[in-house]
Amino acid sequence: MSDRIEQARAELRSQIDAKVSSYFSSCIHCGLCAEACHFHVETGDPRYTPIYKLEPMRKLWRSEHTLSGRFSKLLGRSTELSEQDFADWEELVYDSCNLCGRCSMVCPVGIDIAYMLRKQREAFNLSGYTPEGMRNALQRTLTTGSPMGVTLKTLQATLAHVEKASGLTIPIDRQGADFMALFSSMEVVNFPEYIASVARIFDTAGVSWTISSEAFEATNAGIQIGSREGAKEIVSRAVNAAEKLGVNYLISPECGHAYTAIRWEGPNLIGRRYRFEVIHILELLDQLMREGRIRFNGKSDTPMTLHDPCQIVRRGGVIKAPRNLLHQVASGFVETTDHGSMNWCCGGGGGVSANERAEALRLKVFGRKKKQFEESGVDTVVTACANCRIVLEEGLEHYEMDTEVIGLTELVAEYLEQGAD
Amino acid sequence: MAIEIEGKSLETDEEGYLVNLKDWVPAVADAMAKEDDLELTEEHWEIINFLREYYEEYQIAPAVRVLTKAVGKRMGKDKGNSKYLYALFPYGPGKQACRFAGLPKPTGCI
Repeated sequence: MSDRIEQARAELRSQIDAKVSSYFSSCIHCGLCAEACHFHVETGDPRYTPIYKLEPMRKLWRSEHTLSGRFSKLLGRSTELSEQDFADWEELVYDSCNLCGRCSMVCPVGIDIAYMLRKQREAFNLSGYTPEGMRNALQRTLTTGSPMGVTLKTLQATLAHVEKASGLTIPIDRQGADFMALFSSMEVVNFPEYIASVARIFDTAGVSWTISSEAFEATNAGIQIGSREGAKEIVSRAVNAAEKLGVNYLISPECGHAYTAIRWEGPNLIGRRYRFEVIHILELLDQLMREGRIRFNGKSDTPMTLHDPCQIVRRGGVIKAPRNLLHQVASGFVETTDHGSMNWCCGGGGGVSANERAEALRLKVFGRKKKQFEESGVDTVVTACANCRIVLEEGLEHYEMDTEVIGLTELVAEYLEQGAD
Repeated sequence: MAIEIEGKSLETDEEGYLVNLKDWVPAVADAMAKEDDLELTEEHWEIINFLREYYEEYQIAPAVRVLTKAVGKRMGKDKGNSKYLYALFPYGPGKQACRFAGLPKPTGCI
């Protein structure tokens, strides 16, 4: 066995903490998680049962943490976790899991399967059995600052257009601002409307904010592929920039996993508390609305529904804010079945959208979203994650559905009452 | 790998993208198109030239949905849609057109 695999095995061993151990020993093999997973539901393939995706970790746990496992090991009846196990499970661990956490919600004994899969990915990353697209995305983020190769020059070009169209000045490196905003690469490149909307809303509400020229990227390919070193480096950049500017709050943008990275995993990755607070843009907009700092002028009467981004809503807990906002700006808002914390993932989360090999599978399991949208009876979908938006658009196009996808922050900005104080 | 253009050998990566962006001349697009059994028309050139300008401004190669949206903004919905762009660049308007235009391989978000 090569050093690489030895290292990966040691990593997996260190990932088996008390929580993981109690999770494995509590599993009653009921199979309910299978029915919660869009990969299983849409394909009927039993290999996509969420807990089965953790078989390499379970194998190691069994042989080292259970009496029967240790006994069979002594008798030479069990095989060690091998390189072949990593090779065989790579597709299950990366192509067929969005880390969406829907399985964790239905487990009758409370096993957080997504938490374990995230941990298992750390070992897979060391083993080298990872999808090329995700590896490259992490490498590009570490070298250029962005998974898409967005640089300060790209941001400046985008901001120049936003400033010209809005007549507003976007504050860069403003020392002592109250808030610092991060953006995902896709927002900078493809959804400058999001940045323009944030600028307009903040201008109206009198929010003191800034962007850092040193760290504006919100995405974190490290937490997707399972590289805590990479994830830590990416989080550190934003943390250092925010602390250097002395802001009180860091705003996580609409992007889903950015929130998981900076809000939930970040302090553990860098090993200390931040000297500022992290707030999601939807939480902030909801707060500004409740404080009367933004008001609305009319509402959209277009019937529309909401696609809850997994990492913001189910994993992140920002459930009410998008709804509070939507009710203010849309009179025809309807919920889908399984909305909120039980929504179905777009299929692109957890790095799957960056994994070209997984494209056919991703489009197949989009069948679940298709049914959900069809049942809702509307043909406009609002969401709050740039990656969800792209993945939804691709899926809708694939199934030739005439459904429009719009961003929530942009919708809020569209009905903003100018001059409210 | 390399591609022979006007008597010069230009370095390309394993997927056929130019390694040095500055090496690009229009004959690069013609030669790459020929290898893909395509003949470049005015419509192709409109997109290739647009990509050159886009890169000059943003320093990034646009992935398919980004390209589609950007083309739509500049040239209208008739051209800013997947059907039109895939008909011109059957191997994917992001990847194939960026290659012809001498840009790096475009990547999506994560």
